[in-house]
Amino acid sequence: MTTTLPKTAPASFPSSRRLLLWSGIAALCAWVLVPIYLVALGAFGGRQGVYLWPKTVLPTGVSIEPFLLFLRTEGVVGSFLNSLGAAGITVALSILLGAPAGYALARYSFPGKDGYRLLVLLTRAFPLAILALPLTVSFIKLGLYDTVVGVGLIHTVLALPFAALVTQGIFLGVPRELEEAAWVFGCTRLQAVLRVVVPLAMPGLAATAVFAFVISWNEVFAASVLTVRNRTLTAYLLTVLAESPMHYRFAGGLLLILPSVVFIFAVRRYLFAIWGISSK
Amino acid sequence: MQRLMSLGILAPALMALAAPTQAQTVFVSTQLRPIEEATVVRQELLKDAGQVDYVVEEPPQFAVRMEAERQAGKRTVSLVGALHGELSPLADNDTLEPLDDLAKKLAADGMPQSVLDLGKLGKPTQQYIPWMQATYVMAAKKEALQYLPAGADVNALSYDQLIDWGKALQEATGQPQIGFPAGPKGLMARYFQGYFYPSFTGGVVRTFQNADAAAGWEKLKALWAYVTPNSTNYDFMQEPLAAGEVMVAWDHIARLKNAISATPDDYVVFPAPAGPKGRGYMPVLAGLAIPKGAPDKDGAIKVIEHLTTPDVQLLTAARVGFFPTLNVDLPPDLDPGVALLAGGVTATQAAKDAVISLLPVGLGDKGGEFNKVYMDSFQRIVLQNEPVAAVLKEESAVLAKLMTDTKAPCWAPDASSDGPCPVQ
Repeated sequence: MTTTLPKTAPASFPSSRRLLLWSGIAALCAWVLVPIYLVALGAFGGRQGVYLWPKTVLPTGVSIEPFLLFLRTEGVVGSFLNSLGAAGITVALSILLGAPAGYALARYSFPGKDGYRLLVLLTRAFPLAILALPLTVSFIKLGLYDTVVGVGLIHTVLALPFAALVTQGIFLGVPRELEEAAWVFGCTRLQAVLRVVVPLAMPGLAATAVFAFVISWNEVFAASVLTVRNRTLTAYLLTVLAESPMHYRFAGGLLLILPSVVFIFAVRRYLFAIWGISSK
Repeated sequence: MQRLMSLGILAPALMALAAPTQAQTVFVSTQLRPIEEATVVRQELLKDAGQVDYVVEEPPQFAVRMEAERQAGKRTVSLVGALHGELSPLADNDTLEPLDDLAKKLAADGMPQSVLDLGKLGKPTQQYIPWMQATYVMAAKKEALQYLPAGADVNALSYDQLIDWGKALQEATGQPQIGFPAGPKGLMARYFQGYFYPSFTGGVVRTFQNADAAAGWEKLKALWAYVTPNSTNYDFMQEPLAAGEVMVAWDHIARLKNAISATPDDYVVFPAPAGPKGRGYMPVLAGLAIPKGAPDKDGAIKVIEHLTTPDVQLLTAARVGFFPTLNVDLPPDLDPGVALLAGGVTATQAAKDAVISLLPVGLGDKGGEFNKVYMDSFQRIVLQNEPVAAVLKEESAVLAKLMTDTKAPCWAPDASSDGPCPVQ
């Protein structure tokens, strides 16, 4: 940003630098916030508001009716909790299973390593629509049908390959010497991992968690086939959103953005730190 | 922070595990999915029907679920509400409970036998109970009417008049103003099966590639010059109508309803145009069925009885724009938008040259492939400008194979057949 300082600017004023910095920040914020604001405008503008052109910058004819309808819709609260549950299971399992796999890929060399790396992606190679029928049949037989755990397991399968491969890259970024130093000071292998490697890899693990969370939060097909009453929020609302009037789509969009924003906000410290690691 | 995160992950997981399950009649429906309509169903239509859990589902997931529950032999769904064509594969698998007692009762209450018979899906027993019906109509902004060609009656348009109208609209506004729902989720295939083919050829399958059909496709190409190219993105015509992108549109009444109900004074609703063989139209029928082995069969029967009472049928028409299957008169104080649509439906049904096109029977789960034949022909002939005769010849081979594979006999308006419906 500072390199684009125009020649005509009176460089003698320290405030002009600051002005430039802030206008850059403002531009970047606007980049993200203006679309969200437009979504909000559509959501609150009422049925005909979304069709108005030119758009007004200030909201006119604000109506929170679509939102209230959403929140009053039977089962929205339950499906919101289901969504959080499934996403929570997905995040927990894909870190617990994916991170050790990623660590093994990063630290050990074993026969078939490249093949394994490729095979791990195979779970994403088959479209869920094809797997859906046998999957549902076995889920019914196993008693996992229509449970949040079942949905969480399927989402874990979807998120796991990425978790393993992303964490591999992260563990590769943690210097081996640090781990070796820990051994020298008497740590066992496991202790070294837990006390040295994992804290250093935390930002990357957080990013992996965000990723798993988003995969689970956005997945619709499996979540709707495998459940009847215990729907996730996306399965419950998103499928019908496409067929709803525009202002409901905007309202639903705004509602679905919020949890992701909150989650990313919660792990922001780790996300910022990952830029430090990846630029090493 | 770390602890906060793991707490944030674990707490909802535990909550989800502990989530209680309710004992209710599970009603899975592929109809009335949009959120406003689903809310109407939950809060108004099913208000006095006992403990019902109304779950909406898109057709692909619906088909997978029904088949999976059949294979696993354990049902969670007690009642299904779906289109005739979506219920037909379930009946072919012999997975629907016969509902003859209910059918007899409804026949006595004034449900026309012809409608009830559709619910047999070609079987000796009643497979589903007709729930509500709809059809497709055309809607236009009132300001478009001034460009109607001289002497044209909007309620009795011909294809030539529609083309002239489209031309006049394009000249007046500088843009094509006719729209069709030819997008990925649009119902354009039904236009060909229920409107285009019956109007031009008097058949759907038998006449697929004859000279009448070829002439019809040429006419459609002429019309398409005045159809907005955005049509291939439209799924529901209510949005482009409301947004002012098009002034004239053809679609399912439920997919026009929002635009028309919002500003009923701005629109006219009228039948689709007529071709040389008449004015084709296709009724849409949604039915209620009970899967064999349903966990709450008695509750499901109660819900069916409730939804087919005259009051609830009228309420359905007024609130969601699907019309009764019972023979009841619509009340005069109907929502103006719904009344407008009802007028268009009546004009369609009462047209002197009406050619009714029934829903395909006996295609089982091949309904999608059947649609694809028509959509492929449309894309190749109209959008990609391939020679009509060659495309029809190739696609008719696909259609003929589909018919032989499914052994589906002809349905109206095609003349009936012994064995699979032939493509002539």
